[in-house]
Amino acid sequence: MQLRRRPLPAPGPGDPHPAAELCALLLLLALQGAVAAPGGPERSGWRQDAELPRGLLPQAARAALHFFNFRAGSPSALRALADVQEGRAWINQKKEYKVDLVFTTELYDSEEGKERLGKCSARVFFRNEKPRPAINVTCTRLIEKKKRQEEDYQLYKHMKQLKNLLDVDSIPDSHGHIEPSLRPIWDLAFLGSSYVMWEKTTQFLHYYMAQLSSVKQWKTNDDAIDFDYTVLLHEFSTQEMIPCRIHLVWYPGKPLKVKYHCQELQTPEEASGTEAASAVAPAELNNF
Amino acid sequence: MIEDVQSLLDEEQEQMFASQSRARSTNTFNYATYHTLEEIYDFIDTLVAEYPQLVSKLQIGSSYEGRPIYVLKFSTGGNNRPAIWIDSGIHSREWITQASGVWFAKKITQDYGRDRAFTAVLDNMDIFLEIVTNPDGFAFTHSKNRLWRKTRSLTSGSTCVGADANRNWDAGFGKAGASSSPCSETYHGKYANSEVEVKSVVNFVKDHGNFKAFISIHSYSQLLLYPYGYKTEAPADKAELDQVAKSAVEALASLYGTKFKYGSIITTIYQASGGSIDWSYNQGIKYSFTFELRDTGSYGFLLPASQIIPTAQETWLALLTIMEHVLNHPY
Repeated sequence: MQLRRRPLPAPGPGDPHPAAELCALLLLLALQGAVAAPGGPERSGWRQDAELPRGLLPQAARAALHFFNFRAGSPSALRALADVQEGRAWINQKKEYKVDLVFTTELYDSEEGKERLGKCSARVFFRNEKPRPAINVTCTRLIEKKKRQEEDYQLYKHMKQLKNLLDVDSIPDSHGHIEPSLRPIWDLAFLGSSYVMWEKTTQFLHYYMAQLSSVKQWKTNDDAIDFDYTVLLHEFSTQEMIPCRIHLVWYPGKPLKVKYHCQELQTPEEASGTEAASAVAPAELNNF
Repeated sequence: MIEDVQSLLDEEQEQMFASQSRARSTNTFNYATYHTLEEIYDFIDTLVAEYPQLVSKLQIGSSYEGRPIYVLKFSTGGNNRPAIWIDSGIHSREWITQASGVWFAKKITQDYGRDRAFTAVLDNMDIFLEIVTNPDGFAFTHSKNRLWRKTRSLTSGSTCVGADANRNWDAGFGKAGASSSPCSETYHGKYANSEVEVKSVVNFVKDHGNFKAFISIHSYSQLLLYPYGYKTEAPADKAELDQVAKSAVEALASLYGTKFKYGSIITTIYQASGGSIDWSYNQGIKYSFTFELRDTGSYGFLLPASQIIPTAQETWLALLTIMEHVLNHPY
């Protein structure tokens, strides 16, 4: 049984990433609910879960990757999960999970070839089906920093030129097609969705961005891109499509600002034969 | 040899402009695009007309909204030979599956008499292929909601429409792994086989009485699954099914490197009750498998049409592996 005595836990397997400070802060915030008071091992100590519920490692990898993509704030360098390589998990009495894992990633927009694999190590805290898993994640670089900044800037310049986006119907269309000139919109929408999907991922629920369903607003007159849109998120275990309204502000190199509101996911137990849309409870969170 | 034929077809397609008009032959049909229900039903009729000795069309029932439900029978003779069942499109938004089904139908007619291994399969067994298992849902994905999954049946007492046709089979029906709410995407329906689309298949398979393999095609996730979904207890044939699945995904990966994982439904994807292959396995159809085709979430259900043919080609190799095993392991 592991007892945490230090008020600020070490962030985990070797971690020289600049975002480590924020990670540590998040860890602390997450742990405040879960950590035993010094000297109380019965309270909520961690015991290793040798059985490792199937799917826990991929869940943790997804959560970590969404968080990573959001924090990187780089629509030209989005990553997708390749493989989970190894991991361990601990569970406490509140049925919260702490997961340490290593996984590989590839570039999301890998039309040319999937040879480039980045490697990530992460520590993920699932708070027993409550949202906002706390994440600490480091990944090896896939793209040289200067190149990434340059590509983001090119995307940004391209986005500043785009007009008439309010006419945009669905991206991709029914046939899975994305107009090449509109691809950056998809990437930016996915970046914003990453924040949402990170927050909503639990040890049971995970999400994919199915479709950008509409553009409500696209403002580029100030320096930043101000993008207000709706997406459909596909929750896999329930197979539900969750409509979300997302509003983001992005400028290359700056942290992404996101505000969102999703229709609440109805679990089978909650639903009672009424319209799925009737039980909407606003879940507005923002980091503006 | 077959690859040459395929590339010929590809070239022909490139030369033709995309049109909605009926392709006059299955050689001019565009396999690299998604089609409407009408176009697929026309394709079926055209294929049967071109290969009357090999292919016939059977209507096994009508959908909730009155659309005919068709199964293609591929047979080189005999009398109720041991048979292989393949269905696609039970979840209507999984468009890659119906599109692959169309490609499989054509592939069967091309490979019989040309590919030695496949010819042996069809010389001894029949293949039944249901391309659009949920025609009402499929029509709805074209007309109103591209991401519709369920049937279109009405449930009294609810304004919500449709049941999950893959939670409606009589195997662990209503247990954990399906929803009792009509508004849910995994609503299991009022009772097992309440959905006529499911009942039609059940009747057909039972009446036939000689199916040896039952394969359901879904998307997405890149998985090859065997029973069970509704319980953790392993099927008696787990070791063999696992081995077959392993060989099948290796064959699939050999073409384009596409990686599939494999295992039982409940340990590999999630707990799901009332599923088709749990039912078929419990009927004694040992070789029961579910595919989840491309991709792993980047495009999900909205898989670009450019991936139809590669997906169908690689999946066919896995299907062949399974069919050959079935042929070589009669029971």
